[in-house]
Amino acid sequence: MAASPIRVAIVGCGAIALEHLAFLAPSPLVEVVGVCDASPAAADFARSKVPGARAYRDLTAMLEAERPTVVHVLTPPHTHPALAAQCAEAGCHVICEKPAAGTLGELDAMLATADGNGTWLMESQNYRYNQPVLDLVAAIGSGRVGEVREVDVMISLDLVSGRFGDLNLTGPGVNLPGGAVHDMLPHMAYLFLMLSGAETSADRDPVQVYGRLWNASGNVRVGFDQVDALVVSGAVRGRLRLASDLAPDAMRLVVRGTAGSAETDIWHPYLRVEGGANVGKRIAVEHLVSGSRLAWSAFTDLRDKVMQFGSYHGMTRMLDDTYSRLADGAAVPISRAQMRDTAALVDAIVALGGAS
Amino acid sequence: MKVLVTGAGGFLGTAVVRAARRAGHEVIALVRPAARLSGAPWDDDGVTLVRGDLRQRGPWTGELAGAEAVVHLAATPSGDLPSQFQATVLGTEQLLDALDHADGLQLRRFVHVSTFSVYDYAAVPAGTPIDEDSPLESQLDRRDAYAVTKTIQERLVRDWALRAGTPLVVVRPGAVYGPGADWDHGVTMRLPGGLGLVFGPRSRTKFVHVDDVAAALVSALTAERAAGRTINVIDDDPPTYLQYAKRCRAAGADVPRLIPVPWSLVKLFGGLVAQFDRRVAGGRAKLPEFAARRRQDAQWKPFVYPNAVARDVLGWRPGRTLDDGVAEMVAAGKQRNR
Repeated sequence: MAASPIRVAIVGCGAIALEHLAFLAPSPLVEVVGVCDASPAAADFARSKVPGARAYRDLTAMLEAERPTVVHVLTPPHTHPALAAQCAEAGCHVICEKPAAGTLGELDAMLATADGNGTWLMESQNYRYNQPVLDLVAAIGSGRVGEVREVDVMISLDLVSGRFGDLNLTGPGVNLPGGAVHDMLPHMAYLFLMLSGAETSADRDPVQVYGRLWNASGNVRVGFDQVDALVVSGAVRGRLRLASDLAPDAMRLVVRGTAGSAETDIWHPYLRVEGGANVGKRIAVEHLVSGSRLAWSAFTDLRDKVMQFGSYHGMTRMLDDTYSRLADGAAVPISRAQMRDTAALVDAIVALGGAS
Repeated sequence: MKVLVTGAGGFLGTAVVRAARRAGHEVIALVRPAARLSGAPWDDDGVTLVRGDLRQRGPWTGELAGAEAVVHLAATPSGDLPSQFQATVLGTEQLLDALDHADGLQLRRFVHVSTFSVYDYAAVPAGTPIDEDSPLESQLDRRDAYAVTKTIQERLVRDWALRAGTPLVVVRPGAVYGPGADWDHGVTMRLPGGLGLVFGPRSRTKFVHVDDVAAALVSALTAERAAGRTINVIDDDPPTYLQYAKRCRAAGADVPRLIPVPWSLVKLFGGLVAQFDRRVAGGRAKLPEFAARRRQDAQWKPFVYPNAVARDVLGWRPGRTLDDGVAEMVAAGKQRNR
């Protein structure tokens, strides 16, 4: 007999909730029993995607009435620690949007609360599951790039003209120490740690961070809108850059190693892998293959956009993996160590802002 | 009457503030904090400027107490669904909550500005009228973010008015044109080589001039028989897409060489795409307006658009001829491009 679906609730019914619901609504692994938001209209809209759920304005009321097994915390980041603690104390596992916490210290406190209540806390690190990232991992695993020496994560994203920098609103756009940039730092950190091999290395060197975090626009709500960090972990180094004044939007990943390089873009996927043992003889073929892949990606990108296979497809895969494991009584797929390493690297990058 | 106008700094809002002042009303003009406003009508003593954003509670909520009526225009017509939802739906929710809590507020009327986008164009046969009794969209997930959010917004306002006992008039303007809103001169798609496609060239547009909409909204504040009514506001004889494009060109607008694409072909194309979507993509494809059947219907399917209710209940008459309106709009566009 199939196991009963896991009872799930969400708190926070904004934009990211729609991405979580895209997996939760049709999944046979879960039953969404409650949606909660301070705005009844937002909660009603979320409920329209999961007709069996009930809408709430108050988290306490939802937890008491619905007794969910898992709660997705999808509210603004500065509210995560308190809400995650409340859910853990109610005996619920928590899947928390990134950044789960503003600092490593906050994250440790959240993990301690989860431990104390025998529940899981997992930060959403959805890009780990995106196909372009998995393609890079495969290229690294195949040995085509040799030993990884450089991992660059370069983001062009206008944080100023969107809601983070909207001067019609008051208060900070993102209420975290790293300002608007902080919203993207977890992605940059875990992708570096993942692709560099640092997170799987048992005896890795401590990560060192140099660079600058600053406000280039003068917009008071964004806090910081640019970062350029050099990150070094043993023999591997990388540039983690986010620029708000470049177009078009892009999230480029480049991995360079002792034998070759591989690159992609998470938001406009393509894969370019170059290098090999005998570059001199094979270089013409490599260029042809690489160029053909690039041209083909123009078609696949358009197809994926029409088919709504967007950059959040990793979210669907991550949640599917998570709930499959929970159904089997296993641990969540993103480990405590991965979350802590990510938060520690983010802390180090945020500290650059104090030196600007 | 003292009238609160939300979205007062926008294209239609500014015209409503002017029209309300001409009708002798005092105006509380709620404008976004970052809006740059100068000259008329903002320097008028009868206009109290209140800066605030409906998406966020703030001091603006304390400025509502004296209002006797509301014209609710605030909405965001562009951007993705979450940003339109936040501004149009959550903003309205905040406004209604603030009105509920305003000290001693006794509204004599609430005029809500809805849109023709809420109708279900697929459910109405071609060539027949779209009027106030036409069905509302039943498949919102097949429409754009504007139709989705304006439909939810209208429901919110109707529920609130019923609960609060406030006399409500829902005005649904057509496509509002005027200086600053030219609807790309009726051209569906610009092509290389100075060519432009005009879909549904013989279908009527839903055009109505911005000043005429403003006049209708101000009439709705006081017209005795308007309370509880839904009223479409559209020109007497709106031009077809091809006529509009040609008039814009005659007025000096940059209109390319026009290639009319009959409605039958547009519909055939949309039907083929829909078949492909159903059979190959499992109905999941996200399509642009020109290829998505329900959105094609909303835009180019031929209908008749009566305005008898507006004429009867509001005593409203369109005051601007198409030639005058287009000439003014094109001249303003050229001025901006200089």
